[in-house]
This record gives sequence, structure tokens and C-alpha cells, in this order.
Amino acid sequence: MALEDCRYDMETCRRCSICKFMPLEKVSSVDRINVCPSISRYEFHSYCGGGRMVMGTALLENRLDYTDKLLEVVYNCQMCGACDTSCKYSMDMEVMGPINEIRISCVENGRTNPALDKVINLLRKQGTMVPGTRSKRGDWVDGMNLKDCAKEKVDVVYHVGCLTSYNKDMWNQAKTIARLLQDAGVNFGIAGNNETCCGGRAYQMGYKEDFLNQARKNMDMIKKSGAKMLVTGCADGYQAFKVLYDQHGFKGDLEVLHITEYLARLIKESKLTPRKKVDTVVTYHDPCHLGRKGEPWIHWEGKEVIDEIRTLDPPREYRRGTYGVYEPPRDVLRSIPGLKLVEMDRIKEYAWCCGAGGGVNESNPEFSMWTAIERINEAELTGASAIATACPWCVKNFKEAVSRKGSNLKVYDIIELLEKAI
Amino acid sequence: MVLNKNFYKGLVDILGPEYVSDDPVITETYAYPIRQGIPVPARFEAITLPDSTEEVQAIVKLCNQYKVQYKASSTGWLYSDPAGPNCIKIDLRRMNRILEINEKSMYAVVEPYVIGAQLQAECMKRGLNCNLTGAGGNCSALPLAAHVNLGHLSQSGSYGERNQLALEWVTGDGEIVRLGSLGMLDEWFCGDGPGPSLRGIIRGDTTPLGGLGVYTKAAQKLFHWPGPTTFPMEGVSPKYTPAYIPDGFLVRYFSFKDLDAMIEAVLKIGESEIATELMCFNPAMMAANLATKNVEEEIEIYNRFNSEVLGPGFMTLIAANSRGDFEYKKKVLQTIVDETGGKPLEEVEDPENQGGYIWRYFRETGSIKETGRTLAPQAGMVGGTDAFPLMSYFIKSCSRVKERLIKEGALLDNGTAPFIQSTEHGHLAHGEVLAQASMRLKGDKLREMQRSINMGSNEISIKGHFGMPQHVWGDPLHDMYGPHTSNYHLWLRKVKKTFDPNGASESSTYITAKE
Amino acid sequence: MIEKEKLVKVVGADNVIYEPAVLGEYAKDMSFINTVRPDCVVKPRSTDDIVKLVKLSRETLTPLVPVSSGPPHFKGDTVPAAGGAVIVDLSDMKKIIRVDRLNRVAMFEPGVTFGELIPTVTKEKLRLNMPLMPRKTKSVTASMLEREPVVLPIYHWDLPDPLNCVEIIFGTGDMFRTGAAAGPGSLEEQWAAGGAQVTPAGPSSASWYRMIGGSQGTMGIVCWSSARCELLPRVEEPYFVGSKDLDKLMEMVHWLIRLRMPNECFILNRTNLATMMSKNYVKQYREIHDSLPPWILFYNLAGYDYYPEERVKVHEEDARGIAQRAQVEAARSAGRISAFEFLKAAQAPSAEPYWKLRASGACQDIAFITNLQNVEVLLDVMYDAASQAGYPVPYMGTYIQPLVQGANYHVEFNLFYDSNNRREVRLVRNLTNDVIDPLIANGAFFSRPYGETARYILNKDVATVEMLKRVKTIFDPDNVMNPGKLCF
Repeated sequence: MALEDCRYDMETCRRCSICKFMPLEKVSSVDRINVCPSISRYEFHSYCGGGRMVMGTALLENRLDYTDKLLEVVYNCQMCGACDTSCKYSMDMEVMGPINEIRISCVENGRTNPALDKVINLLRKQGTMVPGTRSKRGDWVDGMNLKDCAKEKVDVVYHVGCLTSYNKDMWNQAKTIARLLQDAGVNFGIAGNNETCCGGRAYQMGYKEDFLNQARKNMDMIKKSGAKMLVTGCADGYQAFKVLYDQHGFKGDLEVLHITEYLARLIKESKLTPRKKVDTVVTYHDPCHLGRKGEPWIHWEGKEVIDEIRTLDPPREYRRGTYGVYEPPRDVLRSIPGLKLVEMDRIKEYAWCCGAGGGVNESNPEFSMWTAIERINEAELTGASAIATACPWCVKNFKEAVSRKGSNLKVYDIIELLEKAI
Repeated sequence: MVLNKNFYKGLVDILGPEYVSDDPVITETYAYPIRQGIPVPARFEAITLPDSTEEVQAIVKLCNQYKVQYKASSTGWLYSDPAGPNCIKIDLRRMNRILEINEKSMYAVVEPYVIGAQLQAECMKRGLNCNLTGAGGNCSALPLAAHVNLGHLSQSGSYGERNQLALEWVTGDGEIVRLGSLGMLDEWFCGDGPGPSLRGIIRGDTTPLGGLGVYTKAAQKLFHWPGPTTFPMEGVSPKYTPAYIPDGFLVRYFSFKDLDAMIEAVLKIGESEIATELMCFNPAMMAANLATKNVEEEIEIYNRFNSEVLGPGFMTLIAANSRGDFEYKKKVLQTIVDETGGKPLEEVEDPENQGGYIWRYFRETGSIKETGRTLAPQAGMVGGTDAFPLMSYFIKSCSRVKERLIKEGALLDNGTAPFIQSTEHGHLAHGEVLAQASMRLKGDKLREMQRSINMGSNEISIKGHFGMPQHVWGDPLHDMYGPHTSNYHLWLRKVKKTFDPNGASESSTYITAKE
Repeated sequence: MIEKEKLVKVVGADNVIYEPAVLGEYAKDMSFINTVRPDCVVKPRSTDDIVKLVKLSRETLTPLVPVSSGPPHFKGDTVPAAGGAVIVDLSDMKKIIRVDRLNRVAMFEPGVTFGELIPTVTKEKLRLNMPLMPRKTKSVTASMLEREPVVLPIYHWDLPDPLNCVEIIFGTGDMFRTGAAAGPGSLEEQWAAGGAQVTPAGPSSASWYRMIGGSQGTMGIVCWSSARCELLPRVEEPYFVGSKDLDKLMEMVHWLIRLRMPNECFILNRTNLATMMSKNYVKQYREIHDSLPPWILFYNLAGYDYYPEERVKVHEEDARGIAQRAQVEAARSAGRISAFEFLKAAQAPSAEPYWKLRASGACQDIAFITNLQNVEVLLDVMYDAASQAGYPVPYMGTYIQPLVQGANYHVEFNLFYDSNNRREVRLVRNLTNDVIDPLIANGAFFSRPYGETARYILNKDVATVEMLKRVKTIFDPDNVMNPGKLCF
């Protein structure tokens, strides 16, 4: 797909502004109805989904060029997908697709953000999107006896992800996941130092070729391992394997689960029973790439039928955020004795982004933090003493935000809370 | 066109560099996205984002000083583009506060970028409701910023021209006027006086659409809400359903053998004051509201609805104040429907669908689907606001134009059933014929169709004496209608000249003060 | 000055009056406005007459003062403020042009009074949303143009209601029709199409009728108006609720209107209710007054064409619930007055003598609009001021009328006094002037300022005055229409 292929969708935008707000049916207050961090921060229409649609058309029409300002608008977006979901409440058009294609076209035209180039160079050299070397990727294992799926046959690949692998504060999550899988008798393996980045973030940033390279590498390794299932604790990784790989024809029959889906399954089947009380009030943050962006890809092949009206043959089903992973993480939390779950105003398919995605964490840390602090403010209003989530990027951003703000709110990965209860 | 650098510096001095931009990336992205069948409009020279009435005033005065035009808008869905160069946008996005909700006096005061959904949500917490503009809960809650501001609640909740209380207005030349009780008392409860009411200047059945200064704050009437503080919607977008239908709420759709039967039913329902909402949607609109999958599903539902209806019909929604009230209203509704031969569309009242319809109609989430989803250039004929029978006959006449164009293959055949809405329990009404261009039409043929529809509508209005439609703006149309309509256009030009002497408010969607 | 011959040519000799006695009647009214004798009185018969009169007045810059109602006048707006004025007395223009049951509208000339219009609309099973017991000579058109408060608040969607459209001759001499009446087409053509001059707004992006209402004849002369009508009920059940606690009654009023129940609905103090129901004031007033509680809410529940009794029954039950929560109780009578008896009186013009004149022969009204929360405070302000001025508070009438479906409230104090008693005149006049500022400071909005305090009140809103003057330059650039009134 190229930007030109998105023309129809971009010109379908009605400029109704719904991309700025949560689905109207769910608005229950004057506050916290914005879903797009970009326009919420920068205010000009240019920064919202609708504005980006016009930007794309204007690029195709040569009314705009890849100026510094264009790049600034393009890259100040977490690619969180909220605009896409809100738009598709009513409209049959893609919003994230064109937004991503604009970025891809920037990269193809050599108009990139230096901070992101730096990240991609690291990816190319070390197979990671966070500072670290290939040889250290498996250090988190630290004595655990785990199968190496790069060398052995396994049923399940546990993909740890870049941030968890290289951030010592997150190693415990990886270890807990590994332990839980072991205790459940799952025949799984990890790739350790041979694990390489899923490439999802690279795709979000517009580096499509790099993403494709990563996808090839990962699927080669998975195929060789014989695994039919991949489990990950990272929402970005989840979305990459489940959706992007499928979209680009790599996924095949591989079943992709987020660890919370897997654990929720185990809990439901009584194969895992949290018993210890964890007396805390928690609010859950839906990671974008697990929630609305984690909805399975829908393949469609057909043709446009232009009669009096444009229809598609066969009819196309749109990914509207309906089938993202929302309940399993909540089920896990609800299974923990003593834990009370309270909800924020913006949840599930209209959750506010943590701020880290789309390269913003790297290219504009101030905007990333601004977004995260908005979320922390929202979490505090629930009266919860902790915010839990299911993505290391969200955890990282929230922890930083809490520290920056001087908040007492605790930040957990769900795995941490579950571990306390087991 | 490059703006005078002192003028731009003036804007920066008022707003700070963060809230003004003339970068082409910014200005270009404010352009209307639809390209098909529409001439490429001009672009704003700069975008400004004021935060207060004082900043708006300063921008307006600067524009007057430098002879630059401005056009203010809230969410800017439609009618907010410039007609030519030398115009800046006043984007009121940062003016998004609800200033007051007075429960006992039943009014709310908002800034322009509060959207209807927000205001309604806050009102509901207090047992109140507000009229949302028919275009949807995503549009401005400030009645003057949301076109005519007729809405689904208009049957019992009237519309913007009538619901307006006090307001704050920055005139075309930058004076701040506070109308009604606001000017004298700093209170919002009354919009008229002292003496003659300046509300008469700032809007009529239609609004100046940015052509007569900027409305920065306004109060509007609220209405009783007998429902829950938050509507119990569950599920994930777009498949929301309510956990339950609140007591005293129902929605129905009835169709009739002909327009006269429907008119009779609507007037009787109006006179008996039983309906909270009454909208003469046609099957296409009902189908669009229900469909969540894709346009093919919508077509399927439409075909099903269309095969079941007798003819023109309406949706009516009752939200009763007590059990007795509910039973009474249901009984009266059934009696009237029986008397007039109405046939229910059962899928609407199916428990699977009913709750969703109720909430979508209150929150007005379906308008985007109804008008934008089928992805075809829109066309349509729009009436004014007048007596219900008159509006119905007008739209019936307009429907013949649509019928002819359908036969010619110029329009999508989604029926010729009218869309009419009843206001103030049938005292007033507004009608439209919605149409979509056939996708087969391109270029000149498309423009010819649009001209045909517009001219057809104008001819019917003028020769048929059906009143002033709401699409009449811009000098050419005013010059066409004025001589038949008390030469209002000459007076309106005087209003424009008097309150915007330098013509600083861009008025392609209003009127100019040309001699 | 317009030459007599020219006036005679327009309206006919019988309709041009120079008799001093007649002129004297228009030179003053029951307000404290300055006495200014007009030059003459003319009585036009048609729109055409009025057009010609306005043209003549422009040629000679002769002030025109339109008058539609018969005497006595109370507000000072019909007394010239400038010398050499011509009174344009429209009270003989009494044609009821049309009553349209389907579209619930009536159209009539300015001289038509409530007493004349009510029987005609009643024949069509319609009724007017009218003020409370207007005087017999009150013009319906004038009442609507003055934005007088009306007694059916749930049918009062907007402040100018029930006014729909007007035909007006502006001070420029141009004829203009507002709202739906503007066209396209003549009135006959509109009727043939099914139009009924219903919509007040427009034409186009101005609501011209709003600038005519409240203008006290300073924009032009109205030749006819159309008014929204409501259905005549089939069943009516009126009630009184008496209390010494006004706040409880206000609470009940708020909910009755919010739930859209009552037809007639307003609050009176016992002074007013007793006065209204005392045709023979001397004989009846005291007894009736003493039988009443200090405050009386009156409301009427009605049923129309469909199951009217059931509708009333439902509303009665719901109203009982409201009364219980407000800790009051509805009854079929208040003191010696039955609710049905009062309903009948409230649905008609005042019986003679006009109720406001029964107590002492004269009455000065102090009236404003406020919101629910301010009502009681403003009553205290007024009563304090009255006490301090020496006006006996129990002698003062008070009328509270919910407006605009409960969005605001008309509060009216009726100061009864003897106009032959100089002390009383001085007292009432001074009180009227002195109480303005404290009332405004506590939330009184004088939406319709009249008489000698009008300019003072208007000047408190300089920006509005500036804009009103701009409006005036559009419709009456030569300032011939009732100059000296308001801020003009």
C-alpha cells in the first residue's frame, strides 16, 4: 500500500471532528473526552486525525512538501489509533492507515527525524529499539533454566521484547511470566540473545523496510522452532505479531496471545488461582496496541463496485476497535483477592494513550511526558492507589510521569500484581 | 498571499507564538477534506487560537485595522472555509468551558468549543437535558455556533433561535456586547432587552455563519431529563447497547400511506404534547443509524425497512416523567397511530434495537452516518422553519425533483421519502430532501446535478411560496430571494454595514454590505 | 409639522383630530412621564395610510407616536417626548384577518383587544396565551410588542411569545413583514400554499421581530400581527396552593413547569388576588383579603382532545407528589375564592373597573425579570424600600409570573395610590425612582424599561445602548418614530 492508495479514505473525511473525541455515546462528563493527545497538546486541527487526512491529500496534490513543519506535525503523534476508532464509529474509512503511510512516505523521501534515525540505526545494528547490545539481550534470564527456541523445538515462543529485555527494573516481569508458563506446564522457549525486535515500533515510525526485515527474521526463527503460538508481555510486540505480521502476510497460522490473555485463560480453567490478598485499589490502563490496535487484522480482497454508490464486493469488514483485548487483563486483576478495580473515564477502545508510542518517546520526550501526566491525573481522580497496565512502554512512561509529577500513585505491570497474589 | 508582517506580529503579540501560525502545513490542513465534485476553496492565511473573549476582540480589532478578514468557527464541520484570500481563521478550540449550569433556572452557559455531548452529559447529572444540533453531539453546544441548531429534541426542546438567553458577542468591528441581563447584571437568564432585543440582529432562522463577528459565550434553555444520570451503555464501539431501557422511555417508528396521513398524525401528536422527540426520518436514515458493519449492511437494512414501510413516516421518542405519564402518553400515541393508519416498524421497537436507538437519538450520534457514510458527494434541498403542513408540502415538491434526478441516473435511489422534523409540539417544522449524487456522475455532470437540485429548490420555494429555505446565504441567493421576501436583503446589508462596517467578518455564508 | 390638509388627504377628515380635550388625553397618562401635548391625533385605517403618514413625517421630521390600546395608559410610552408630535392611533383598526385552527395562529390588526379576539379564536377551539387580566381596552398587538408576561408558562417558549409575525412600516417608510410573513409571496399566496405566518424568526439571518418588540414604537408602526394560539382545553381543573412561605411555592412552581404540567400558573400575594376578585372593592376587598394566606400559587391542569380526564388525573397525581415534596397542599379554593371562579376571571380581560385601579384609582407598576434564585431577595429589597419610603407593604400587590418555561420570572409590584393625593403621588414616584438601583444590584433585569426611569436604566449598559442606536439608524434614520423614548 502506498499513500496514493489511501486517497479515497483521506478524501472521505468529513471534518466532523469526532476523531478528537471519545465515542459520543460514552461521554458522561465535560472532562476527559479528548482522545487525541496530539491535538490536545498542540490545538491546531492539523494535529488530529482529520487534519492528517487533509495533509495526506495535500502531499499527493503537491500542495505541501516535506518541510520541517510537516515533519514536526507528522512525528508529534503517538500513533495510538484513537482517532481511527472514534472515526469508525460512523465512517467506513481508514485513518491510521493513511497516517502511517504519510510517515512511510516521509522515510521513503528521506525526510526523517534524527532522533528516530538514531533508534533505527540501533535496530539495524543491534536488533533493538532501546539502548543495548545484542549480546546482552538475554541477560534477564539470569540462571533460569529456559528452552532456547532459536535452537530447540517448542510449542510456544515467549517473545520478551526490547524494553523488558534491556530494562533491569522490568526483568522481574519477564521472569514471572517465564515462571508462570513453566508452572502451567507450557512447552515454551525464549530466544535470549537471538531474540530480535518485533519491528512494530519501526513500522509506527514509518520505517517500513526495517519492519519487514524484522518480521522476516522473527518469522524465520519462529518457523524453525515449530511453535504454533507466540506469547508476549509487550503490547507493541503483541500488535506487531498479531496484526502487522498478518497484514503483511507473515503471520500464517501462528496464534498470538498477550500474556494477560493466556493468564486469563489459565485462571478461567482454574489452572492458575491467585490466593494471596493484595489489598489495593487499582485502575487499569488499556495499552493502545493491546486494546484498539490489537484487534485482529481482517484480510479483504475484492473489488470496488462503482454504481450509484460505491460498494465493495465482497463487503468489507472494518477493524473498528471492537475486538481488542480489553477484558482479559481486567479478568486477571479481578481474580486477585482483595484487589478493587476502578475505571478511569477513558478506557478500552477510547483509552488515552500513555504517550510513549509512535516514536514520540524518542523524538519529543516532553510531549510524551505531557501525555503520560494527563493519564496519571486521570488515574488519580479515580481514587486508586495504583495504575496497572499490560505494556512495558506504558509502565515506563507512567513511572517517569509519576516521578515528574511527584505523585503517590504506584505503577504496576499486571504481572507484578499477579505475582503478589500467587 | 503573505500577510503583512506587522499584522502577523500583532497576532503573535496577542496570542503568543504557540497559538498562531501561517505555516502552509497548518493552514492547508484546515481545508475541506472532500475533493470530489467540489471546487478547491481558498485557504486561510493564518490560524489563530484565542483563549478568551478579550483575545478574540483583540484579533478582530487587529483585522479591522489591517483590513484582513477573519472567520470564526467552533468544530468547523461545514461552512467555515474562506471564500478568498486575505482571511484568517479564528479557531475557538481553546474556548471550551462550561461556565454555568443553573438547575433551578434551567439554563447552561457555554463557550463555543463545548460540544453537545459534553453539555448533555453534564446536564444529565442534574436531571436536565439540552437541545443538540441535529448534525450531532460532536458539534458546538453553543446554539449560534451550530448552524440553525434544530435538533432531535426540538419537538419538546425547540431550537437555537428560541432557546437562546443572554450571550456575549464580539461585533464585526470588535466591540464586546453583552446581550440581555448579561450586560446589566452579569447574569445569564434573559437574552432580550433592555428595550428592543439585539438577539434580533445576531441571528434569524439561520445564523450569520461567521459573517457578523464572533459569539464567545452564550446561555441556552435546558429541559427536564427524566432518565438516569448516565445512560447505561455497554459494549465496545460501535456495538453499544444499553444494559436496560430506563423506565418511561420508548422509541417507535411509524409509517403512513401518504404524506397527508403522516401530517395528521404528527399534528395530533404535537397537540397532545406526548412526544419528547419526533423526527420524520426516512427508512434510509433509520437504516444508517442502525448499521455498524459497513455500507452494504446499511443497504440491506434499508431494503428491509423500505419493504416494510407504507410510505413516509416518523420516529418518535417518549421520555415520561412518571409511570402515569408514561401510560397516558403510550395510550394516546397508539390511539393516534390507529386513527391515522400508522404502521409500526417493528425492528425499531425490538428490544435488541430499541435501547440503542433511544440513546443514539438522544445523543445524536447517527448524523455522521446518515450524511457522510455512503461516501458520495452530498446534495439536498433544505427548507426553512415554518408550519408543519407547509414544510411537508414543500419537501414533497422537492422530492419530485429528486425523483426526476433519480430517473435520470444522477442520484442514488434511496427513496424520495422526505425528512421533516417537528418543533415545539408541531407549531413549527423544518424539512429537507437528502440526496446523494450517483457515483457515476463526474465533473460537469456532477456540477450540473448540483445546480439542478439547488435551482429546483429555489424555484419551488419562490414560485411555490414556501418560505425562506435555510440554504440561502451569500449575495447571489440573497439577491434572488430578497425581492420576493420583503426585500429583507437590503435590510440585512444594512445590518452588516452597521455592525461590521469594515466587512472584516468573512461573509460568503452571510451577506456583504455591497451597495 | 405636517399640514392638516395632507393628513386629511391620507386618512380622511374624520380621522384627524385637533380638539384640545382629545389632545389632552394623549398628553399624559397614569405614569409620571412629563406631559407633552401632541399636535394632533390621526387614525389610520390601513397599511397604506400608515405608509403615507410615515413618509409625510420624514419629509417634515414630525415625530410620530403610535398608540394601539385605548386608555388609560400606564407606561409613558404613548405620551410624546417631543413637541409637535402626531399621535397615530391605531385603535380603530379592528380587523381580525384570519384564525387558522390547523396551524394554531390568529392574525389581526393592532386595534383588536383581548375581549374582541377571544370569542373569535374560541370559535375555532383555540385560545391565546395572554397576560393576566389585561384591561378591556388593551390591544393584543401592543401587549405582544411590549413583551408582556403571559399566564401559560409552558407555552411560553421564548420571551416575545406569543408574537409570531408582524407587518411594520419602518421609520424609513418602507413596509416590511417579519418571519414567515415576509414571503416569498403575498399573504394570499402564502395561504394558498398552506402558509400561515407562523414562524417568527427571519427572514434569513436576522429576527426582525425582536427589534420591534420592546421598542415602544421607536422603530416603526405595526399594521398587523399574527399570534400563536394554543388549544382550548376540554377539561380544566384549577387549584390554589396557599402558603406563608413563598420559597415552598416557588419550589412547586419550578417543578410544575419543569415537568410541563400546568396551563395557567403564577403566584400572587393576597393583596392582588383579593383586588382582582373584588369587583366592588370597598365592599368585598377586606373580607376576601383576610381570608387568604399571604401567598397564593394558582395553577390549572388541562386535558385536550385525547383522554382529557386521564391527562388531568395523571397531572393531578404528579402535582400532588410535587406539593408533598414542597410541603404544601393544593386546594380547590383559597379563602373565599374558588379556583374555578378565579380561572374564569384569569382567562378574560379584567372586569370593569380595571383591577389595578380598584384600590385607589391609580397604580404604578415596578416590573422586571429575574431568575428563580433572586425572587425572594428582590421582594425583600422592594418591601424594605417601600417601608422606608412610607408605603404600606400590605397595600402593595405582588405578582410573580414564571416565563420562558421557567428560565426566568417576571416580578411585578403594583403600587396602588390615589393620583389626587399629592403626598401619595410624590411617595410613589420617589419610591419608583429610588428602588431601581437596589433592585438591579440584587438581580432585577429591567428588560422593558418605561417612563422616566427608562433612560437611566438603559444607560447602565453602555454597550447595548450604543448598539441600539446603531439599530435605530437602520430602521429610523431620521428619528421620527417616538423620539425621546428609551435611549433615542
